[in-house]
Amino acid sequence: MARAGWRLALPGLGWLLLWGGIPLLIVVAYSFMGRGIYGGVERGFTVEAYVQLLDPLYLGIIARTVLLAVMATAGCLLIGFPMAYVIARSGRWRRVLLLLVVLPFWTSFLVRTYAMIFLLRDTGLVNSTLLALGVIDTPLDLLYTPGAVLAGLIYGFLPFAILPIYASLEKLDPALLEAAEMLGARPATRFWRITLPLAMPGVVAGGLLVLIPALGSFLTPDLLGGAKTTLLGNLIQGQFTTGRDWPFGSAASILLLAGTFLALTWHLKRYGEGGHRS
Amino acid sequence: MSASPLVTYRRVSKRFGAHTAVDDLSLEIGRGEFFSLLGPSGCGKTTTLRLLAGLEVPDRGEILIDGKAVQGLPAWERPLSMVFQSYALFPHMSVTENVAFGLEQRKRPKAEIAERVRKALSLVRLAPETFADRAPAQLSGGQRQRVALARALVVEPAILLLDEPLGALDLQLRKEMQLELRALNRELGITFVYVTHDQEEALTLSDRIAVMDQARIAQVGTPAEIYEGPRTEFVARFVGEVNVLDGRMARRPGGKVAIRPEWMDLYRPGEVPAGEQSVTGTVQSVVYLGETLHVHVAIAEGQLLKVAMRNEGQLTNPISWKRGDQVAVAWRPEDIQELER
Repeated sequence: MARAGWRLALPGLGWLLLWGGIPLLIVVAYSFMGRGIYGGVERGFTVEAYVQLLDPLYLGIIARTVLLAVMATAGCLLIGFPMAYVIARSGRWRRVLLLLVVLPFWTSFLVRTYAMIFLLRDTGLVNSTLLALGVIDTPLDLLYTPGAVLAGLIYGFLPFAILPIYASLEKLDPALLEAAEMLGARPATRFWRITLPLAMPGVVAGGLLVLIPALGSFLTPDLLGGAKTTLLGNLIQGQFTTGRDWPFGSAASILLLAGTFLALTWHLKRYGEGGHRS
Repeated sequence: MSASPLVTYRRVSKRFGAHTAVDDLSLEIGRGEFFSLLGPSGCGKTTTLRLLAGLEVPDRGEILIDGKAVQGLPAWERPLSMVFQSYALFPHMSVTENVAFGLEQRKRPKAEIAERVRKALSLVRLAPETFADRAPAQLSGGQRQRVALARALVVEPAILLLDEPLGALDLQLRKEMQLELRALNRELGITFVYVTHDQEEALTLSDRIAVMDQARIAQVGTPAEIYEGPRTEFVARFVGEVNVLDGRMARRPGGKVAIRPEWMDLYRPGEVPAGEQSVTGTVQSVVYLGETLHVHVAIAEGQLLKVAMRNEGQLTNPISWKRGDQVAVAWRPEDIQELER
């Protein structure tokens, strides 16, 4: 970049500092303060909010959040990889299929999550179809379960997994697979030794793009999980609204941030150079 | 060619949609031969190679390797290796891992693999201690070419397929690799099937050449047979420089004949030696090419003949022809090649 080029980044940096950096510092500060009676904070320094996170009740929520986010990530990768593979190999249909992948973004996430409710509720499409086919006699409890939250997370974040995997598969030179084939590699060997390793940067990027928002999700568990499937995101939201415990909400936010920051750091260290490992 | 061919194409056809890539092609390739498929881009030479490799399946006809039809045999079970134009080295593996890949698929013991990889690298003149652990991205074009060659040869294939392997190298390196490929073919006794659009390369390397044109084989023969006895105008024009004359010189009415520029000579009109055929014309230009000079002579009906003359040194012994001179272009009747229509 030209020597004076960094000045071009000034508007963006200023914007981020104003709406990202400063609020973040406020959150950090709040997390070490005392709780105000009607919300807000009391002056003074304390780590009480962080100690509170160690309560088995909250550790359970953290564990459940991590578990669901990891399962959602795994689900998105397992469904997304074959889809990305098919799209990367579909010649002139490629553009159309890619458009279909991003098509859901044309609708608000909230509306799409409400649509899931209509699918999963007792009188929803899934249950009424199964009832009509005689597979079941009474509606299944689909809504307000961890399963519903998982389905909602996978549905919502699938495109984030597909797109980076597609990008890395699309770059894969077909001659590499032919070379492996000529050297005696069967289809399964070609996948495990050539396709997957070379698609790994896309798989990891897609995984992080699902994992990070899934860890912080609150809309999906709120609408699809009900009270039984509270995740970290719901906990944080609750502390700033009905819970009126801003320091605790701030501490939980910092924990979430630290987690995603660690995941990103690992990713940059391992894949940040852009090239292949030698 | 030895009595029983190693590879036989029997009336093989392959279409891609509306495009016919290989049309009713029959061909035999002998054991240990350096065989080239030569033709312009899009003539079907690469498809012909890929059909043998098993990377494409023929629509009609059959291919035999060592007398056995390979129909339905997947590429990974055929006794052949391939060197790709793009080298197709695995970018996430070191040089050693690349070369070892084929042996691992064959489940060879670790010690044997290490030994054979080392030998293969030495064979293509890459010092194992220097290059073994490098990534393909850390190699020059010529070095990548050698790794690709080592990776293909290490599995000791019966046939080595090469798809324009030298296309991406500069001229100097090409010439060097050509000599090495020829030497490897002789030393190892492996049959080489070589795809190229470079006629000079095909003439230099091959025992025999199949010249392809529009999905068909135009002519098969030794380099001398192809160069000195082209059967069609396409072959004559594609391989080397040529003058094609029609009408008067042909024995058949409406036929055409070909003659190479270096087999023609220039004389003053009326001084043509007895027994030589000639036409008269006007010198239009003299082109200096270094090794040779090309004299372009305009003859009747606006046709231009190209005559190649040895350069005896233009500073000390300049040729006596210049633009506008009346000349006779002469050749021995036996140097003329009658072309099929």
